[in-house]
Amino acid sequence: MIAEYGQLALTFALVLSFLLSAVPLYGSFSGNQRALLQAKPLAIGLFIFCLLAKLALVHAFLTSDFTVINVATNSSSILPWYYQITASFGSHEGSMLLWILMLAGWTALVAIFSKGLPLLMQGRILGVLGLINIGFIAFSLFMSNPFARSLPFYPVEGMDLNPLLQDFGMIIHPPLLYMGYVGFAVSFAFAIAALIGGKFDSTWARWARPWTLAAWLFLTLGIMFGSWWAYHELGWGGWWFWDPVENASFLPWLVGTALLHSLAVTEKRGTFKSWTVLLALGAFSLSLVGAFLVRSGVLVSVHSFAADPDRGIFLLVFLLLVIGGSLALYASRMNSVRSQARYQLFSREVMLWGNNVFLLTATLVVFLGTLFPLFHKELGLGTISIGEPFFNQMFYYLTIPFALLLGLGPWVRWKQQPLKPLLGPLSLIAVASLVLALGTLAAMQSVQANLALLGLLLGAWVGVSALYELYQRMSQFGSVTKGAFKLHASHYGMTIAHIGFAVLVVGVAMTKTYSVERDVRMQVNDSISLAGYNFTLLEVYPLDGPNYGGEAAEIAVHNSKGQLLTQLHAEKRFYTIQRTVMTESAVHARLSRDLYVSLGEALPGDAWALRLYVKPFVRWIWLGGLLMALGALVALLDKRYRRSGASLAAADRAEASNA
Amino acid sequence: MRKLLFFMPLALFLALASFLFSGLFSNPMERESVTTNKPLPAFNLPDLMNPEQRWQPELLLGETFLLNVWGTWCPTCNAELSYMTELKQQGVKIVGLYYVLPADPMLGERFDLTELQLDVSNKLQQQGNPYQFNILDFERSLALDLGVSGAPETFIIDSLGIVRAHHIGDINPQVWRNKLAPIYQQWRQQDGTKP
Repeated sequence: MIAEYGQLALTFALVLSFLLSAVPLYGSFSGNQRALLQAKPLAIGLFIFCLLAKLALVHAFLTSDFTVINVATNSSSILPWYYQITASFGSHEGSMLLWILMLAGWTALVAIFSKGLPLLMQGRILGVLGLINIGFIAFSLFMSNPFARSLPFYPVEGMDLNPLLQDFGMIIHPPLLYMGYVGFAVSFAFAIAALIGGKFDSTWARWARPWTLAAWLFLTLGIMFGSWWAYHELGWGGWWFWDPVENASFLPWLVGTALLHSLAVTEKRGTFKSWTVLLALGAFSLSLVGAFLVRSGVLVSVHSFAADPDRGIFLLVFLLLVIGGSLALYASRMNSVRSQARYQLFSREVMLWGNNVFLLTATLVVFLGTLFPLFHKELGLGTISIGEPFFNQMFYYLTIPFALLLGLGPWVRWKQQPLKPLLGPLSLIAVASLVLALGTLAAMQSVQANLALLGLLLGAWVGVSALYELYQRMSQFGSVTKGAFKLHASHYGMTIAHIGFAVLVVGVAMTKTYSVERDVRMQVNDSISLAGYNFTLLEVYPLDGPNYGGEAAEIAVHNSKGQLLTQLHAEKRFYTIQRTVMTESAVHARLSRDLYVSLGEALPGDAWALRLYVKPFVRWIWLGGLLMALGALVALLDKRYRRSGASLAAADRAEASNA
Repeated sequence: MRKLLFFMPLALFLALASFLFSGLFSNPMERESVTTNKPLPAFNLPDLMNPEQRWQPELLLGETFLLNVWGTWCPTCNAELSYMTELKQQGVKIVGLYYVLPADPMLGERFDLTELQLDVSNKLQQQGNPYQFNILDFERSLALDLGVSGAPETFIIDSLGIVRAHHIGDINPQVWRNKLAPIYQQWRQQDGTKP
C-alpha cells in the first residue's frame, strides 16, 4: 500500500506544481496580490508531497518489497540497510525522484528565504520553478514510474544493487551532484523573472548571487566526491576520465563558475547585463542537456542508465520547451538592453571578462569533445571517438593563461587601474612563486623543466597572489587585525576558492608527472620496491561479507629506511547475486603522496597479480575542490546577502565613499 | 545586426536539438567495423593444437563460418562456449582464433605452447568444444588486421572469404537469434551457388 501512497503523493505534487506555475504567474500578469501570495504555501506543499513520495520509495526498499519492480531490480534482502536507501536512487527511476525532491526542495527554500524580494518577483520566480517541476514530475509519473508493481508475478529475491554503487561514494555523490544541477534552476528562474519583468538593474544579480553560489557549492562538492570515488573504487588509480557523463557535470560547473564572476560585474557595475542573463540560462540548460545525455542513451558511458527512445523524446521535448522557450524570450527581450558603464582596458571588468572567455572556451572544448562523435556519426561521416589526450592537451593550453590571469585579477580595481602601483607586489609574487616551485622540486631532488614545474609555478603564482592580496586589503583598514574583521566574508570566500584552484593545479601537475605504477606478480612474503617504498605481501585470505565473498590481501609498506609505514588491506570481492567481481583498493593517504594497492587475479603457483601505485600530491586535487567549495560557503555567509533592499543600498553608498 | 546576435543562442540550441533527436534513434554501441564486406586479410598462422598445420585464408573457404576470437583468460569467452557448442551441434561451422595475451617478462611469464594447449583442452573439455579447430594468433596480427578490440568477438565469413558481420561481445541465444542468425542463414543459403 505504501508504494501506492507514494504514487498518490507524487500525483498531488504534480497538481501542486501546475497550481504553482499557474496561480502566481497569473497574479504577476494581472497584478492580483492574492494570487501572488499563494506562491509560498504552494511551493512548500509541493516539497512536502515530493518528500512523502521519496519516503514511500525508501520504505519499499527498506522493507524489500520486491513487488515493486524498481526494488526488485536494484536491491536485495541481504543488502545492508544503508545501501538499500542508496539503492532507492541507484536506478534511473529512483534518481529521477531524487532529482524531483531536490528541485522541490530548492523551490521551497526560495519561497522561504525570499522575504526581501518584491512580491511580484517572488511570484514570477516561483512560477517559473513550478513550470520546471511540472516537467520532471510528469516525466517521473508517466515515463519512469519508480512505484510500478510487477503483480501478480513477483520475484522472491531482488537482483541486488550494482556492486559498483555499493560504496560510501554512492551515498553522497549523487545527492550532492543533483543539488548542484537542480540548484541552477533557481538562477535560471531568477533570470527568466528578470526577462519577464524587462528590468536588468543590479538588483536581480544581487538576489541571484547567493543562490548561484549555493548551487555551485553543491556541484563542486558533487564532482569532487565523484572523482574521489572513481579513484578509490574503480581500482585504476585514475581520478578523472573525461567520460561523457563526467563531462555532462563539468559543463554546468564551468558555465556556473563563469556566471558567478559575471554576476559580480552585473551587481557591482551594472554592466555585462545580457551576458549574465545568458550564462544563467546556460548553466541550467547544460544541466538539462546533461540529464538528457545520461538518460537517453545517446552517448556511451559507464554512468548511463538504460536507453529508452520514448524517454529520450519526452526529455527532448522538455528541453525544447524550457531551453528553446527561454532563449526565445531572451532574444526577444534583450535587444533593448544597453550597458552604460565605462571602463578602461586595464580594469576589473576586463579581467572578469577574460575569466569568462577562458571558462567558456573550456566549456566549448568539453562540449565539442563530448558531442563531436555524435555530430560526426549523425552527419554520416562514420564513427570516431575523442579521448583523454584531446581534453588533456586543450586544458593544458587553457590553464596556463587562465592561471596567470587569476593571479592578476583580484589586484585590479573596477573601472581603471594604473599599472605602476601593481608592478611592485606582482614582481614580489613572481619571485616568491619561483622560489616556492624550485624549492619544492629541490626538496624532491628532481629539478627539471617539466609539467610539475609549470604546475607549481602557476599554483604558487595564484596562491601567493591570493594571500598577498588579502593581506594588502586587510592593511588598508589601518591594521591587519582590524582589517581582518572589517573585510567582507565574500572576499575571504574568493581568496579561499582561488587558493583551492592553485592547490588543484599543483595536485594535477605533480600527480601527472611523478606517479608511478607497476603490475606485479607476488607470492606471500615477496617484496617489491617502488619509488622508495617497499611493498611486502603478508597474507591472502578468503573474505566473507553480507552479500559478497572473495579474497583479501594484507600488504605491509616500509620506507627506504626499513620503517613500517602502514599495513594495507586490499580486497577482491565477488558479489554473489550479480555475479560481479569488484576491486576494493587499499589506499594510505598523506598530503604528499598516496600509496595505492589493488588486488588482481590469482596466478598459477600460489601467486597473485597486484597493482601498486605511488601517487604524489594526488590528495591536493580533492583538497583544491574542497577549498573551492569552502570558499563558496564562506562567501554565502556574507551578511550583505541577507539585508533588505533599503539598508543594502545604504551600505553600498557607505562602501563607495570609503573606496 | 545586433538584434540577430541575440537570436544566436536559440539557433545554436535548435541545431544541437536536431542532432540529439537523430541521435536518439541510432545505437551508440554500434560501430561500423572496418572489415565488414571486405575479404579476410592475408595470414599464415599455425594450428593451436597441431602447430605443424598452417592455416591460410584459402584453406577456410567453401562454407560460411563463424570466426570466434577468444582466450581461456577471458571469462566472457568461457561463458559463451556452451551455447556455441549447441550451435555446432546444429551444424554451424565455428573456427576459433586464439588470442594470446602478451607475456609479461616482469612477471616471469614466458610463452609456453604445451602449457597453453593443456589449458585450452582442459577448458574445452569442461565447457564444451564448439570449434572445428583453433588458429593460434601468436602475435595477435590477424586480430589486429580484423580490427578486434577485445575478446570475445565473432565474425561471420561467407564461402568466398568475405567478412559479412562483426559482433563485439559474447554470443548468447538472444544475440544469435536477433542479430547473427539472419546474416548467417542468408550467406549459408548462397554457399555453393557461386563458383
